[in-house]
Parts: sequence; C-alpha cells; structure tokens
Amino acid sequence: MQKFTFLVCLLFLTLCCTNDDSSEGYAPTPASISIPGVFLQLLPAPEIPANNPLTEEGIALGRQLFFEKKLSANNTLACAGCHKPNEGFSDQRRYSIGIDGIAGFRNSMPIVNFAWNTKNKFNWDGSANSLEQQALEPVINEIEMHNTWPNVVETLQTDANYPIAFGEAFGTTTISKERVAKALAQFIRTLVSGDSKFDKYVLGEATLTPLEAEGLAVFLDEDRGDCFHCHGSPTNPLWTDNDFHNNGLDEDFLDLGLGDITGDPAQFGLFKSPSLRNLAFTAPYMHDGRFATLDEVINHYSEGLVFSQTIDPLMKTVAQGGVQLTVEEKAALKAFMLSLSDPTLATNPAYQNPN
Amino acid sequence: MKKIALFLMAVTFIACNKNDDGQTPLNTLVDIRFQHSFDEQLVDNTTFNAIQYNNAFGSELSLTKLRYLITNVTFTNQDGIATKVRDYQLVDVTQNTGMFISGTSLPPGTYTLKMRFGFAEPENNSGIYPDLNAASWSVPDMLGGGYHYMQLEGRFIDAGNETSIYAYHTISAVQNPGPDNIREDTSIEIDLGTINIENTTTTIKVNMNISEWFKNPNVWNLNTLNGMLMGNYAAQILMQENGQNVFSLESVRSVQ
Ligand code: HEC
Ligand code: HEC
Ligand SMILES: [Cu+2]
Repeated sequence: MQKFTFLVCLLFLTLCCTNDDSSEGYAPTPASISIPGVFLQLLPAPEIPANNPLTEEGIALGRQLFFEKKLSANNTLACAGCHKPNEGFSDQRRYSIGIDGIAGFRNSMPIVNFAWNTKNKFNWDGSANSLEQQALEPVINEIEMHNTWPNVVETLQTDANYPIAFGEAFGTTTISKERVAKALAQFIRTLVSGDSKFDKYVLGEATLTPLEAEGLAVFLDEDRGDCFHCHGSPTNPLWTDNDFHNNGLDEDFLDLGLGDITGDPAQFGLFKSPSLRNLAFTAPYMHDGRFATLDEVINHYSEGLVFSQTIDPLMKTVAQGGVQLTVEEKAALKAFMLSLSDPTLATNPAYQNPN
Repeated sequence: MKKIALFLMAVTFIACNKNDDGQTPLNTLVDIRFQHSFDEQLVDNTTFNAIQYNNAFGSELSLTKLRYLITNVTFTNQDGIATKVRDYQLVDVTQNTGMFISGTSLPPGTYTLKMRFGFAEPENNSGIYPDLNAASWSVPDMLGGGYHYMQLEGRFIDAGNETSIYAYHTISAVQNPGPDNIREDTSIEIDLGTINIENTTTTIKVNMNISEWFKNPNVWNLNTLNGMLMGNYAAQILMQENGQNVFSLESVRSVQ
C-alpha cells in the first residue's frame, strides 16, 4: 500500500513539474459573466456548457462575428442587423428583412440573459436546443443571411485576422462552423440585462412611483392581471418562465409555433413567453409583431382573448374575453412593465460593434 | 514539495486504512421514485392533454401541467435517529424532472419514511431558494408570499358541454389578500409508514393519486372552482383536506 501511495505521489509531482515546464497545450484565458446584483440575490449561478467554457478570446471573437456582415452571402447583414443593441438586441421592424429584401414571418427576439435559460429551448417555436445549435441557423436561412457554411468558413479562413483570432480562442487556426457557433454562443451568454429601475427597486436603490407600484399589484393580482405565472415576478428577475403557451391571440393558427416542431396537436399555437425586460426598446410585440404598442398588448389581455383548443389553462378569463382592466389599471400596468427596461444595455461598451 | 508529498501520502494512507478495516456496516442504496395515477390509470406526461379522466363529481378532464413540491424527506430508524435526504425537491411531471430522489445510502434496517407536501411555515419565505425562483414557483407577497405547493392544470367538459380550463394551484392559504394578508400553513405531512431496507439496492415508489384532489372528503365541482383559487382561502382549505390521502406507498423493491 505504502509503495503504491508513494508512486501516486511521485506521479502527481512529475505531472505538476511537467506542466510547469512545458509551453505546449495553449489555453485561452477563462472568463466569467458579470452578474447583476438582483441575479446574485435571487437566481442560481449561470449555466455554461462544459464543452464551451467562456474565455476572453472566445467572447471577443464571438463579438466580432456577431457584428460581422461577411457571415451573410452578400456581405450586407450581420446578426446585429436584426438583434440591435439599442433595440434590446431585437428589431423594431415587425419582420426583419433578410439579404434578398425578403421579410421573415416572425418578429426578431431579444437575446439577453440566456446564461440563465436552463430550459435551453430557443426561438419562438423552441426549434433550437442550445445557443450553439441556434447560431448555426440564421447564416443559412434563405430569408435571413442566405449563405452556406462552406462559404462562410472559406471567407473567414482567407481573412487576414480571423484565423489568428480563432487560434487565440480555440487553440487552432482551422475555422469550422462549430467553432463559429461556439464563439457566437459565448458572446451571447455575456449579454446580460439586470439594471432596470425595477432591479434598483429590488435592491433598495430606487422607489417605484405610485403608478408603477399599482401596476406591479395589477400584474401580480390573481383577480386582475395575473401575469406572473408566465412572465416572472419580483423573485424571478428573468421576467419569463422560458416556457411555451397559447396566450389567446388567435382562434385559428397561421403559425403553429411549438406544434410545428413537435407535430403534437396539443402544442399547436404555443409560443415562447418572451421576457418582459426592455419592452421600451423591443416593440413591436408577439411572435408576429402584431401589436405595435404596449397599449395594444394590454388591451389584448384585458378584452381581446380568444378561445382555441390549446389555450393555456392560466388564461382563466378567456370566456369573458380577458381580465377586464380599468383605464387606470391599464396605465399602471404599462408604467410598471416599462420600469423593467434597462437603458444600460444599449450603452454597455462590451456589447458594441468592435469592427 | 516534500511536505506536499508527505501530506498526500498521509491522506492516501488514511483513506486506505478506512477501506480496509471492514468494521462499518455496508450501506444500501435507496431510491425514491414518484409515480402518478388517476385512480387505477398511470399518469405521465405522455398521457397528458387528452380528456380521459373522470373526477368524483363526474366531470371529464385532462391534465396539461403537474408539478409540486416535496420537502423534508426523512428516514427515521428504530432508535429515532433521523436522516434527512432532501430539504426540498420540485417534482415536475410535465418536464419529467425531479421524479427521483437517488443517491441516498442507508444502513439496512427498519425505518419510517416521512415527507411533506409543500414548505412548512418556517421554510416558506419569499425569494430564498434560487432554483425555485428561476422555476417561477414563487407566490406573490400579496398572496402570502413563499412558494407554491402544487400547480395542477388542464381542461374539462363543463356543465354546458364545452371544453373549459382549470388551474388548481395550492399554496399556503391566505386570508385578506393584499398588503395585510394573513397566511396559514396548509402544507401536508406525508407519512408513508414503515419500510424495511435490506442489504440490496432498494427502490421505494410513492404514488400520487390525482383523483383524490377532487374527491375525498370534498367532491370538487370544476364548474365553480376552476381558477383564481390561490387567493380563495376557503378553496385552499378544501384542497388541503382533499390532499390528506393523495400520497401513498406504492411499493418497496429490493434489487438482487
Ligand atoms: C434577418 C434577421 C435576423 C438575423 C440576420 C439574425 N436573426 Fe436571430 N432571430 C431573428 C428572428 C426573426 C428570430 C425568431 C425566429 C423564430 O422564432 O423563428 C431570431 C431568434 C434568435 C435567437 C433565439 C432567441 C430566443 O429567445 O429564443 C437567437 C439566440 C438568435 N436569433 C441569434 C442570432 C445570431 C447568433 C445571428 C447571427 C448568426 C442571428 N440571430 C441573425 C432574426 C434574425
Ligand atoms: C399563460 C401564460 C401567459 C400569461 C398568463 C400572460 N402572458 Fe404575456 N405572453 C405569453 C406568451 C406565450 C407570449 C408570446 C405569445 C406569442 O407571441 O404568440 C406573451 C407575450 C407578451 C408580451 C409581448 C412581449 C414581446 O416581446 O413580444 C407582453 C408585453 C405580455 N405578454 C404581457 C403580459 C401581461 C401584461 C400579462 C397579464 C395581463 C400577461 N402577459 C399574461 C404568455 C403569457
Ligand atoms: Cu399559482
């Protein structure tokens, strides 16, 4: 036994020493997400996949790629073209326009706080199971960037700077679509929004106006808004459940949403609950951008609900057409929802175009 | 360096010593599995969505969501020594997560097994469990705060023969919802009785009979009680009464 122990120790020491002396086995610099105070207080630590750890070099590369128009077939459109930092990383056009001038059929989505999306279902219809997987899609989507991956890889590989940047991020200058997606996913995981007026209120650094406070009460009150089951609450500062629901928009579905992906009729017309953060910057609203203003959204929930077979059981007032809010309650609800907007997102220097 | 080597040697030596002495009795691995039924019919998320169950009132219904909180899972041996194996666990039948409590290792013997449905009062404080916050499991402070006990949702055929919806949410019952609400602990103790753990891996199945929520002692009329139940004190008391016999010990199996 003792001999064995001694050998283990020796081996251990040898390994240590070898490691100290060798210069091979390049490793990029580990990085972490800067976590807002409210998240530290209320949420679990962010989840980073083991096969794509955050590194300084990976994030920097991802940021470059996120703003890189060369990812599109005609060098005109970057991810940031439809996920704009000053529009809550979303797009204020109802349907984003792809490189061929063709509009998509869904509204762009804000892409913040995904390091806390442990359900790992992305897009309105849940079609992507990870950020790494999601990032592969827009590049080849015909109505978005309309490129091919071999073409993107070749463009980047023949660029003067990208091979070096990939080398720094991944220890190899060989570019692949998987590494592009990994870098993009790393950058997106650093997009954090947790500095709204309401966050400050939770931390005791700001007070709500009477109107905002009343709006919060409407939002939480089972007899009035009852919004919190799907959209978070003061103890869930993500302001979404990251789950899929039918919130009573349509009697018949033009877009089957989650059901289109799963084929399950019980999921026809279900869409991902969006976070209510940054609504001030992310109009228009809903998967198809049908509502230009928050007033229209509130009117929908107040008196515009329609029944369909998959209506969420939480939309309990659907038979009455909605939760029937008064004019005052509507104004309060709106003021409260706007207090969840975080103006620092647009100005954070780490999120701007580096190119 | 030498010091480290000595330290490592010591650690390894001590570790080996313990393994070699053979005095401590070997523990048995114990798994608890939560299973769900509507009376005799087994329920899981693949049986969701179809209107196929009949409650005691006679309404046909479906389930679209079921998740609930189990707390203080405790084995107590015959000397009265308690081993708590979980503080809390969210059993999410919809997502098929939290359905097991595994990794427990206990000396063979006779135990009583107890757990609780929902947080008892002293543990039910707003915002203190990060994973439950992120799971949107909280109850707003104006409705008493703390956390849900259960969210059971689905559709039913109503008195007018139309498909209707219900959301049967149980929480700590609250009177006078609003800033000055008064909360009352309506969590439920689950006593699963005595369990023999032999010296081979043991699986304990605990069943929730969903039908009980609608049956005993209060026959539940979904036509009148289908939503806005969180702030409904009287409804929460009825739910707590119906919850008394919802859980039972289904089986204890030793794998040879
Ligand atoms: C032409 C506009 C457009 C471009 C370019 C674009 N996106 Fe998107 N993005 C969208 C739209 C629209 C959606 C919603 C898609 C859906 O649900 O079908 C979306 C969804 C997403 C989502 C899912 C968000 C969520 O909440 O689930 C992520 C992540 C994302 N995009 C990242 C990217 C990345 C990375 C790129 C660059 C490689 C990119 N997008 C390029 C329009 C665009
Ligand atoms: C049953 C779950 C559920 C409830 C309850 C609910 N919502 Fe929603 N909400 C959703 C879903 C799902 C969407 C996206 C629907 C779509 O696009 O098809 C959405 C979209 C929204 C949007 C648009 C966000 C965007 O970026 O496009 C706002 C704003 C909103 N809800 C506010 C509210 C308010 C206010 C209440 C309470 C009166 C409420 N919601 C209640 C599920 C819910
Ligand atoms: Cu509830």
